[in-house]
Amino acid sequence: MEALTTFAQLLVGGVLTGLVFALVAVGLTLVYGVMDVVNFAHGEFLMLAMYATLGLALLGLGPLLGLPLVVIAMFLFGIVVYRVFVRRLLSGPPEATVFGTFGLLVLMQGLAQAIFSSDFLSAPNPPFSGTLRFAGLAVSQASVVEGCGALILTALLFAFVEYTETGRAMRAVAEDRIAATLMGIDVQRINGLAFGIGAACVGAAGALLMLSYPVYPTAGVPFALTAFVVVALGGFGSISGALVGALLVGLLEVFGGFYLSPELKLVPVYLAYLIVVLLRPQGLLGRR
Amino acid sequence: MKPHLIALGAIVAAGLAAAFGVRDAVALDLVFTLLLYAVLGQSWNWISGYAGNISFGHAIFFGCGAYASALMVTHGLSPWLAIPAGALAAAALAIVTGFPTLALRGHYFSIATIAVAAIVDALVRTQPALGRATGFELPIATGWAALQFADKGPYIVLALALFAAVQVATIALERSRLGYYLRALRANHAAAAAVGIDERSWKLLAFAWSAVIASCAGVLYAQYTLFVDPPSTIALGISIDIALVGVVGGIGTLWGPAVGALVYVVLAKGVALELGGSGKGYDLVIYGAIICVIAALRPHGIVGSIVDGLRRRRGALDLGAAATGGAA
Repeated sequence: MEALTTFAQLLVGGVLTGLVFALVAVGLTLVYGVMDVVNFAHGEFLMLAMYATLGLALLGLGPLLGLPLVVIAMFLFGIVVYRVFVRRLLSGPPEATVFGTFGLLVLMQGLAQAIFSSDFLSAPNPPFSGTLRFAGLAVSQASVVEGCGALILTALLFAFVEYTETGRAMRAVAEDRIAATLMGIDVQRINGLAFGIGAACVGAAGALLMLSYPVYPTAGVPFALTAFVVVALGGFGSISGALVGALLVGLLEVFGGFYLSPELKLVPVYLAYLIVVLLRPQGLLGRR
Repeated sequence: MKPHLIALGAIVAAGLAAAFGVRDAVALDLVFTLLLYAVLGQSWNWISGYAGNISFGHAIFFGCGAYASALMVTHGLSPWLAIPAGALAAAALAIVTGFPTLALRGHYFSIATIAVAAIVDALVRTQPALGRATGFELPIATGWAALQFADKGPYIVLALALFAAVQVATIALERSRLGYYLRALRANHAAAAAVGIDERSWKLLAFAWSAVIASCAGVLYAQYTLFVDPPSTIALGISIDIALVGVVGGIGTLWGPAVGALVYVVLAKGVALELGGSGKGYDLVIYGAIICVIAALRPHGIVGSIVDGLRRRRGALDLGAAATGGAA
């Protein structure tokens, strides 16, 4: 009985951890799908959103009230970054986008360290700080809210890409940029929009993560690192793949941490990635 | 070829002058770090520049050398043995991990290198024989037999020798069958395969040599700092520093890594020292801004754009430069 309860607890913990990863990963996979760019500064966008959420919380707008504002601000930030910077990278060789976004990562971390110092900062009196108990299981309320947020966000993004005119245009650009241009789609506008929406997604993630995580200049790194694996595991560019990959990674991490040792918790995650891409080089749900 | 050797001779002469003429420990430390990163960047350049497989896990090969050194010295053996031992370990690790992953394309390969490096990092941190997370402090003993010196001069001489050897090896690579095959594979792997170039075996060869070079740098580093632990040798941050040095100067060019190391060490580290230490993040701001500007305006890197410019002025089609400079 005890073993069963432990297993159930780990299962719930793994799913909730996976949903947090999905929250961070969906924006990354959207940007990749539309313009073949892995935004290595994705974790720093998350960090920026977390600082923004913290700032609003200090002004009295708690994490959830501040969320829409952070989402809008990050959407605009993403569009500006695309227009000023990423657009130029796209005209260079493929490695230019890799190193350009890495440069952005280094720059944003440096600015955060210079402005906010390296201290860990948490939102004052965040809501949902209690614990939910049922059937012998315990989960933090914050992780349930974050998990629901991840599901809503993924569903919204999926519906947007599948069922709206703009979403259709994005899929067209993803499939064949030149053909999309010939059909009268403004590729630059669609790219900018996709980058903005990707940033808005990570803005929502940042606001929700402030419920239970502190922010510091490199706060985004562990999340982004997992998000890269999640997105590649699910197949670059696939939104449903990101969700499946995130749940798999969350479960592997939680079970690995419990049955191996906390220091080795990421080993099964990375091994799973290697095994999956060796068998299916395009990832679980990716297209070739 | 001749201008490259003249340039190399001038750098070695300047380095020797610094090793014996300069007494400022901070300046000498920067020179040593500069040479070390020039070597590491060139090692990365073999697999990621010439062959086009961008690696974010290169620090594990650097770690092979550093840990070989730490293990030899703490077990009472000569650190000179760490050079072949580290090289063998690095080459073996490159072949074992490269065999399955080198066939992956683009970002799937890059993330596989992150995965492999993270697994190695986690395993080292849990192995008591490898010093776990605390690492090793090497016992102090000076002299050539112990490969330790009281002042920095001999270290700079050794780093210069390693740098010169690696530059000469890279000149040889650019002219060798391996070098041409790698650039052909990078430019168009399907076309290269169609004319009978076996992608996996040639890339494995390049990967193994690249790992050996990084391991040599690791031995030198361990003997210089006398301290080896995961964050200073095999962590993701070191891998990323190596990759950025490789790309800022110009990916797939002979002098790119050296120029990249100059930008990294002098502009980022040196300026940060002047501004009051790296704790405030100024070094990251400067370095990040430089990388952003280069990526946006000079996407082929500093040396890459110079090569492009020269080629355009000559108006001639130099196949070697075409493959190293621009083909994607």
